[in-house]
Amino acid sequence: MARSVTPRRKAMFTIFAWAIGLIIFFPILWTILTSFKTEADAIAYPPKFLFFNWTLENYVVVQERSNYMHYLWNSVVIAGGSTILGIIVAVPAAWSMAFVPSARTKDILMWMLSTKMLPAVGVLYPMYLIFIKLGWLDTKIGLVVVLMLINLPIIIWMLYTYFKEIPGEILEAARMDGASLKEEILYVLTPMAIPGIASTILLNVILAWNESFWTLNLTAANAGPLTAFIASYSSPEGLFYAKLSAASTMAIAPILIMGWFSQKQLVRGLTFGAVK
Amino acid sequence: MTTSLTPPRRERSLQDQRARAAFWFLAPMLVMLFCVAAWPLFRSIYFSFTDTTLSNLYGGKWIGFDNYLSRRELSSGRVLWRGTLVDPAWWNAFWNTVRFSVVSVTIETILGMLVALVLNAEFKGRGFVRAAILVPWAIPTIVSAKMWGWMLNDQFGIINDILLNLHIIDQKVAWAANINTAMFAVLIVDVWKTTPFMALLCLAGLQMIPRDIYEAAKIDGVHPVRVFFKITLPLVRPALMVAVIFRILDALRIFDLIYVLTPNSDATKTMSIIARQNLIEFDKFAYGSAQSTLLFLIIAIFVMLYIWIGRVDLSGESGK
Repeated sequence: MARSVTPRRKAMFTIFAWAIGLIIFFPILWTILTSFKTEADAIAYPPKFLFFNWTLENYVVVQERSNYMHYLWNSVVIAGGSTILGIIVAVPAAWSMAFVPSARTKDILMWMLSTKMLPAVGVLYPMYLIFIKLGWLDTKIGLVVVLMLINLPIIIWMLYTYFKEIPGEILEAARMDGASLKEEILYVLTPMAIPGIASTILLNVILAWNESFWTLNLTAANAGPLTAFIASYSSPEGLFYAKLSAASTMAIAPILIMGWFSQKQLVRGLTFGAVK
Repeated sequence: MTTSLTPPRRERSLQDQRARAAFWFLAPMLVMLFCVAAWPLFRSIYFSFTDTTLSNLYGGKWIGFDNYLSRRELSSGRVLWRGTLVDPAWWNAFWNTVRFSVVSVTIETILGMLVALVLNAEFKGRGFVRAAILVPWAIPTIVSAKMWGWMLNDQFGIINDILLNLHIIDQKVAWAANINTAMFAVLIVDVWKTTPFMALLCLAGLQMIPRDIYEAAKIDGVHPVRVFFKITLPLVRPALMVAVIFRILDALRIFDLIYVLTPNSDATKTMSIIARQNLIEFDKFAYGSAQSTLLFLIIAIFVMLYIWIGRVDLSGESGK
C-alpha cells in the first residue's frame, strides 16, 4: 500500500515545515524587530509587532557607548586564532589515532571526554593562577589558548571519525609508491579530508565565538569579545530592552550570516562518524 | 588496515617509523590535555581537602575529608554532622540538576528527531528553513537567556500576551521569577536552544541512510511508522547515542542559562550554580572545590552508567 504523494499533501507539509521554522526562529526575529523600536514602543503593552516607528537610534547609542568594532575584532581574533591553533594540534593527533591505532586509543578518547565532566567554575581558579603567572589576564593570546584547549577534545574527536572513513589502502598505496610520511599526510590525506576539516573548523569557530564563561571571567576591557559586549548591557532594572536588543542583534549578526552560508557543511560535519 | 601477513623487512622499518611518528603526533595533544584536564582537576581536588580561602590561595592547610563530611561530638553528647554531603542546599541542587538533565535531554532528543525528520524531507525553501532552525544553537547563551528573560517578562513579555490571547492562561505569569514556573522557564529556553543541535545531529545521521532501503520498504508496503522504528531508528542510533552523551555532559553542568535567567531561585539552583556561589560569593572556596569535585564524580558515574547500559561504542568501531 504505497502512499502516493499528492500535491495537496505536499503543500501542507511545506506549510508545516515552515511553521516549525518560524516558531523556532521567532525569538530571534522578535529581538531584531525590537532593536528598531524606541524604548517606549519596546515595552508597549500589548506588544507592537510591525507597526511602530522604525528607528536606528538604538544602534547609534550602542555604538557611541561601546566600540562595536573593537569587540568584533577581538571575537574574530580569538575564534580564528583558537581554531587555527587547535587544527594544527589536532590533525596530527587524529592521524595517529585513526591510522596507527593502539590499545590506548579508546582510553585517550575517554580521557578527552572526561575534560567535559569538570564544571568550568571548579577549574576557574587553578586556571586563573596559571594566567596570573603567565601574565595572560585580559589578553587575546591567553583566551586563544584557553578556548583552543577547551575545544580540542571535540575537534580531535570529529577529525578522528572523519579520518577513519578514509580507506587506509589509499594511504598505503601512496606509501608503496614511495611517498614519505610528510607527503602522505600533506598530499594524500589532507585533500581527501578537506570537507571534514572544513566542518570541524566551522563548528569550532561557532563554539569559540559563543563561549561566555571563560571570556567573561578572564577578560576585561582590553581583550573582551562580543559576549563581553553583550554582558555589559545587562541592567538588572531591565529598562533598556531596545538597546539590549540592538546590542544582541549586532553580536549575533556575524553568526546569522555564517550559519546561513554553512548549514550544509555543518550537517555533514556533525555525525561524529558514528553512522557508517 | 592491519595486514595479517608478516611484512617484509623494509616495510617493517617503515612501520616503526610510523609508530614513532604517531607518538610524536600525539604528544602535543596529550600535553595540552594534561594542562586542561589533569592539572586543574588535580588542583581542584587538592583544594577540596584543605581550608583554602580566596584571599589566601596558597596558604590552605590539609583538613582531610572535612569539606565533604565531618563528625563532631559535642560535650553534651550530641553528634553533629557537617560538610557538603549533609548540606540540604547541595542535595536540592543535585535533584534540580538531575531533574533538569533528564527532562531536557529527553525532550530535546525526541523533538530533535522529529524536526530532523521534517528537515530531511523534500520541500520548497528547505535550505532557508534549515538555516532558521540552526541559528538558535549558534547564539551565545547569555544572549538567548536575555532574549527569553525579556520575552517571559510578566509585564511586557510577548509570551504572556500570546498565551492570554489564546486563552491558555487567564492572567500574566512571572515565568522566571515564580518558584513554580522557574524550572519550566529554564527548560523551555534550553529546549529551544538545544533542540536545533540535536536535530542537526539526527539530520546528519538520517542523511547517511541509503535511499534504496526506503525504496524497498515502500515497495513492500511497510507503514511509515513501522519504517521509522524498524529501519530509521536502529540506523541512526549510534550517532544519536554519542550526541546524547555530549548533551548529558552539558546538561549536568548547566550554568550560564540559569545564572542569567533565574539567578536566585531555589527551584533552579544546580550543582554548578551552588559550587560557584561557594567558590566566589560566599568565600567558602575549599567547600566549593569539594562540591565541584563531587560534581565531577557524579558526572563521571552517569557517563559510565550510560555507556555501559547503552553499550555505546565511543570509537565508532561497532558493526565493522
